[in-house]
Amino acid sequence: MKKKLLILLSIALLILLAACGGGGNANNSDGNTSSNQTSGGSSGGGSGGGDAPKNVTLRIAWWGGEPRHDYTLKVIDMYQQQNPHVTIEPEYASWDDYWTRLAPQAAANQLPDIIQMDLSYITQYGEKGQLADLTPFLGKEIDVTNVSESAISGGRIGDKLYGFNAGVNALQVHFDPAMLQKAGIDINSIPENWTWSDFESLSMKAADAGIYFSTGLKADVFFNYYLRTQGKRLYSPDGTQLGYDDDQLFVDFFGMLHRLVKAGAIPTPDITAQIKGLEDDLLVKNQAASVWQWTNQFIGLQQVANRPLEMHPLPGPNQSTGLFLKPSMFWSIAENSQNKEEAAKFISFFINDVEANKLIRGDRGVPVSSVVKEALIPELTEQQAQVFEFIAWAEKNSSPGDGPDPIGAGEVIAALESVTEALFFDQITPEEAAKQFRSEANSILSRNK
Amino acid sequence: MNSKRIKWLLYHLFVGCFAIVMLYPVIWLVMSSFKPSNLIFVTAGKLIPDPWIWTNYVDGWKGIGNQPFITFIRNSFIVVSLSTIGAVLSSALVAFGFARTNFVGKGLWFTLMMLTLMLPFEVVLIPQYILFSELGWLNSYLPIIVPQFFGVPFFIFLMVQFIRTIPGELDEAATIDGCGKLRLFIRIIVPLIAPAMATAAIFSFYWRWEDLLGPVLYVNSPSKYTVSLALKMFLDSETISNWGAMFAMSVVSLVPVIIVFFMFQRQIVEGISTTGLKG
Amino acid sequence: MTKATLMKAIRRNVAGYAFISPFIIGFLVFTAFPIVASFFYSFTSFDMLTAPKFVGLDNFVTMFTNDPKYWKSVKVTLYYVVAVVPLRLTFALFIAMLLARASRMIGVYRTMFYLPSIIGGSVAVAIMWRNLFGDDGVINILLTLLGLDAVRWFGNPTAALWMLIMLAVWQFGSSMLIFLAGLKNIPPTYYEAAAVDGANPVQKFFRITIPMLSPVILFNTIMQTISAFITFIPAFIITKGTGQPLDGTLLYSLYLFRRAFQFFQMGYGSAMAWILLIVIAILTLILFKTSRFWVHYETKEGN
Repeated sequence: MKKKLLILLSIALLILLAACGGGGNANNSDGNTSSNQTSGGSSGGGSGGGDAPKNVTLRIAWWGGEPRHDYTLKVIDMYQQQNPHVTIEPEYASWDDYWTRLAPQAAANQLPDIIQMDLSYITQYGEKGQLADLTPFLGKEIDVTNVSESAISGGRIGDKLYGFNAGVNALQVHFDPAMLQKAGIDINSIPENWTWSDFESLSMKAADAGIYFSTGLKADVFFNYYLRTQGKRLYSPDGTQLGYDDDQLFVDFFGMLHRLVKAGAIPTPDITAQIKGLEDDLLVKNQAASVWQWTNQFIGLQQVANRPLEMHPLPGPNQSTGLFLKPSMFWSIAENSQNKEEAAKFISFFINDVEANKLIRGDRGVPVSSVVKEALIPELTEQQAQVFEFIAWAEKNSSPGDGPDPIGAGEVIAALESVTEALFFDQITPEEAAKQFRSEANSILSRNK
Repeated sequence: MNSKRIKWLLYHLFVGCFAIVMLYPVIWLVMSSFKPSNLIFVTAGKLIPDPWIWTNYVDGWKGIGNQPFITFIRNSFIVVSLSTIGAVLSSALVAFGFARTNFVGKGLWFTLMMLTLMLPFEVVLIPQYILFSELGWLNSYLPIIVPQFFGVPFFIFLMVQFIRTIPGELDEAATIDGCGKLRLFIRIIVPLIAPAMATAAIFSFYWRWEDLLGPVLYVNSPSKYTVSLALKMFLDSETISNWGAMFAMSVVSLVPVIIVFFMFQRQIVEGISTTGLKG
Repeated sequence: MTKATLMKAIRRNVAGYAFISPFIIGFLVFTAFPIVASFFYSFTSFDMLTAPKFVGLDNFVTMFTNDPKYWKSVKVTLYYVVAVVPLRLTFALFIAMLLARASRMIGVYRTMFYLPSIIGGSVAVAIMWRNLFGDDGVINILLTLLGLDAVRWFGNPTAALWMLIMLAVWQFGSSMLIFLAGLKNIPPTYYEAAAVDGANPVQKFFRITIPMLSPVILFNTIMQTISAFITFIPAFIITKGTGQPLDGTLLYSLYLFRRAFQFFQMGYGSAMAWILLIVIAILTLILFKTSRFWVHYETKEGN
């Protein structure tokens, strides 16, 4: 009996050792997965001649919803057909799963070759050495003949380009004319160059009619816009402190929003917290007259609301200093990628290929290539065309963007959301909120010194 | 006789009604899967769909990207059944060791086992990921399945507690009969802790079934995604979500778990009353 | 003679280790390194993207002296644990006793009561629960029918926390199942003997059920306490990971996740985790120590 047990135990140990040994081998080959496949491929096509491109496998990762997964897979198929030596392994997921997975991958040096990157994370991943500098590929693997320098520079941090702009967005107000009508406001009476005081009085009018004028202004995004109209920024250029010195700016902006929340022109945070998706958005449910958001979100909102909506610029004064074009997302290449050139070629295809972009249809923002933009116009729906037109208008009526947020921005934004929530729930005054935010934000940002 | 009848009736009335109250949210979920996506939240207050539609099921069953939904169910099934077998068998073995043998360092190992239950998963996630990456196990089910074969602390502790409710005289009798420890375990203890093992099997099955973190981290290719991961892909906070398909496939994915539960809960019913005290 | 005893002792040890060897191997291979690593991280400013930098006790000092949110999350978590554990256990035991009888319908009832736990932490359950507690959700409709005021579940920090507590109580199935299995392990002869002595149901409950079930009660209490302390998924999916409103649902584990993953402060997160581990370990130890007075085992430990 005991003997049997001993044998069992030693077998278990043996299996364990074998597993470790096997693991070690697997690990050795792991870093070279693509080169293994290379040798396999070249031996197959060896007789074809020496100048055939070597076979590579690229991993590409993105986040998004069902439609994005569908068309991106089609774009990948198209690319593989044109480039038979490239095999692309897609890895897609929903937004939060995507970021949960990316951090451990970075820690283990296992990032995918091509990574869809967001403005709020690019500095973190870029400055910590996880992303490759794309500058050497510009004009070579990545064709930039039809892309303006200002569009490219959106992914630049210092002198390094950590992501290639996948499409352009700008801030807008999306109005529901019918809801405005109910509040006794004629949409045509709102001038393009309206001001914050117009906004406040219109909001009050809507509130009197029992309608939310707006579904809420995302704190960091619109406060930064407001600061820009005043010649200030949310973050200082070096990212070590806040970019405005006078707390009165905070008090003016959030004090106004606070008054509007109290008046019922903007929903309280608990109302917003109950919204599960676009489908039960307050505008969609006929309770609000406008949504303040990015241009590319117009199409989805329009589709779900299923009635005519109109786009409008944000309030001024100084609209054009405030307005800026923002890269909706980036394509980045991992620093640990073995095939950076091939990855760059795919990015170039995604940016420049007209047929591919007919599938993408501006889902990742208005294309940065002027040729692609031209070619798409006849293909667009009415709403998509409106978005393209607005971006064209904004190109002439905006100021350069601020580039990616500094490291720690995520935490600063969380702090801002936390103090404004307390403000809107009447827990603190605007002045207290301003002070509290400044001390919290500066202590976070000072770590960048 | 009559009062017994009334008692019986009251019992079923009470338990039945109570069960239905508890089930209301689940019923809401099922009903929502028959509503058009854009009406699910607008008509959330009403239970009965108007109009009734089946398209959510058709739509969801088609799957996401190039993968039909059945792929995800198959993947989940592979991961979950292997994990469950491994978890229940290995945990029973280890539990017996802790409950019925005496050895140097037992307290230490038991304490270590309990400690592993207390550390939030977030902080061991990175080193664990690096470990599996070093083993070359990324983008496979190995990191999810293999550890289950080495005993799951929750189940070990559960079975230890159960074994300790079994009278020791049984062991002594068996040992006098010349039964070794292993045979004692298989012949006497395993049948007696069958309810606990069934419980563990149910838990293991649905924990693995609903587990999101393991697949999120270790499975990259959508063709290997599990149900829990696939369900989230119907949704996107920024654009239009396919709520209907998500609800419909959530309902579908409940079916295997319910079947497994129904099968194994019998073990718990029978318990000691049929298998017990034969030894 | 002594040699024989020695041999016996060795054999006994070998047998013991053989049985628990799967756990030991698994622990050494899969668990030991991550645990040690996370302990090491807690003294560093590890951000997951670059190599960890040693910062001594900085994380712990910040946590205790300069992080109001930390203390907020501690308070929220304690409230949650103190509410959830007794409620869930009582409820689970009550239902288990109801269902621990032979009847044709019993399988169906059990499945019905267990269903809420099966749908667990999926996206669908979060959506459903948020809907139930919405401003014009079913819960508020019921409250108004009873003549009470509707509650703004998403606007009041305490109410929001209760929304989570009720979710945990509603998903009482796992404890119920363990109690059921425990009840089934009590030999029916005990009850028969008690009935002969003329014991009433209350006496049976306190004289037979509770003592015979005590090892299982101990198990459930410990496991529910641990799992309540490290609860993450419900808070994460119901508040979209924010801990709103006013940090009312900022459970410890959620705050830890935000720090570690959303703010890239894995070092700080690890430090938080180890403090939590120490607290839970002490509580568990206390529970184990008290178990001598109230837990009844059929066999002495180790036989």
